[in-house]
Amino acid sequence: MTAQERQELIAYLESDQLVVERRRPVPRAQLGRWSSAGLWALRISGVAISAMVIYTFVAQLA
Amino acid sequence: MTPPTPATIDIEIGTDGAATLPPLTPEDAVRSVDRFRVHRARNRGRRWYLLWLLVGPGILAMLGENDGPSMISYATSGATFGLGFFLPFILVTFAMAIVCQEMCMRVGAVTHRGYGQLVLERFGRLWGWFSAGDLILTNVVTLIAEFVAIRVGLAYFHIGAGIAAVLGVTLVAFTLSGGRYWRWERIALGLAAFNALFLVAALLVKPHWGSVGHALVTFSPFPGGSFNTLLLLIASTIGATVTPWMIFFQQSASADKGLTPNDLKHGRADTIGGGALAAVFGCGALIAGAALFRHGGSSIQGLAGAGFPAALAHISGKVAATVFALGLIEAGAVAVLTISASTGYAVGECIGVSHSLNNSPRAAVPFYAANVGAALVAATIILIPGVPLLSIALNANVLATVLLPVALVFMIMLANDQELMGDWVNGRWINRAAIAIVAFISVAGAAYAVDSFLQTAHLI
Repeated sequence: MTAQERQELIAYLESDQLVVERRRPVPRAQLGRWSSAGLWALRISGVAISAMVIYTFVAQLA
Repeated sequence: MTPPTPATIDIEIGTDGAATLPPLTPEDAVRSVDRFRVHRARNRGRRWYLLWLLVGPGILAMLGENDGPSMISYATSGATFGLGFFLPFILVTFAMAIVCQEMCMRVGAVTHRGYGQLVLERFGRLWGWFSAGDLILTNVVTLIAEFVAIRVGLAYFHIGAGIAAVLGVTLVAFTLSGGRYWRWERIALGLAAFNALFLVAALLVKPHWGSVGHALVTFSPFPGGSFNTLLLLIASTIGATVTPWMIFFQQSASADKGLTPNDLKHGRADTIGGGALAAVFGCGALIAGAALFRHGGSSIQGLAGAGFPAALAHISGKVAATVFALGLIEAGAVAVLTISASTGYAVGECIGVSHSLNNSPRAAVPFYAANVGAALVAATIILIPGVPLLSIALNANVLATVLLPVALVFMIMLANDQELMGDWVNGRWINRAAIAIVAFISVAGAAYAVDSFLQTAHLI
């Protein structure tokens, strides 16, 4: 592939679409105290409810 | 310029001396070929061809979610409660799915990154791995249910579980063998077209169209009977339309396909069109199931193996039953492809290795291994004798429902992230709709889980 062909190939992609750019991590977001607390509350409740579903499913098998 | 073939690129990359250009991987080169066709179609004003090139992730997410357990769930709702509340409820849940999936498509097209990668990088490894862990758990359970659906469909033709397992895994391996996203997507889309079989099944059972229209307009008759069964079917119906794997899949597939902000209009058409088709076909499954309503449909849970098609054969004839059985095979097969792919994307994104269908299997071993491995695990489990097939299918949807709110909250946060999304952040009305959807799904999932748990533990 010539340099020109290669340049044309790259031209069809957005610069941040190249693999080398996609591998560059995006900066970390700063979560506030309330956001973190809300996410943890949602997480814990999700795990607890999932445990109930799995318990019910297993108990119904028995 | 004539678009070069991927094979040519593989051989020639790295042999020229253009040191000033950014490094171009084979994955970039393959994606560039696809983007070249999009640019050319856009420049030449070929609107329908452009649409054809850009559709895919939305239709596949929506029709992929019209999967085995979903269609069994819809048919169970019809068989248990008849036409009524659940028919328009399917339309409501797909409207919810469109809101959620449009965000996924937009974030994928703007950031060119998958959901797992963004959660991990933006909110930390812990949340990234929680998301991937939830996804892998629900995906394996759902994949089991997909193989169950293929098995139920094939059982109607007296074909055993072993063939179902082999067919499913072979299909996954075959579609992945090309090393091109475009090829994988088109095969999956071709198979997904057969989801329309459920609409054919609905026509063949000769429903009373007046009752269908009445149900759609009035949400009635409202289902009676067991409150817990009603909650199960509501949670299961939600889980049949909006799930964690769809979020991972559509965002990652949009990025892998190479969508850009210029393609958002077509991405929305893809998502809305996919949602509309899936809603119509889902209603078809419910209408077909409702043919069993007055013939002991509520006892469908007790039917082993080929329950639905066999029961339909008695009531509506062999043609309707055959079409329904073929539909189940298709629903399971397409979902096996899309759900396996979402597992591969999640694993690849979280461990930070290549995660593109535009890469050859040799260049992305963990991605392809997770893809095939998830299907293999599920296929092995359905070979265990005496596995409660229908119960697994319904509970897979419920599990997806209860784990969905966390995934959706992260998606809303990403779609509102000004730093990532720039001008393409969520508007006010999308945010309101998305928050209402999260609240509704959380309550519906929790209500069934708590009620069932208390009953099972004899606490009420």
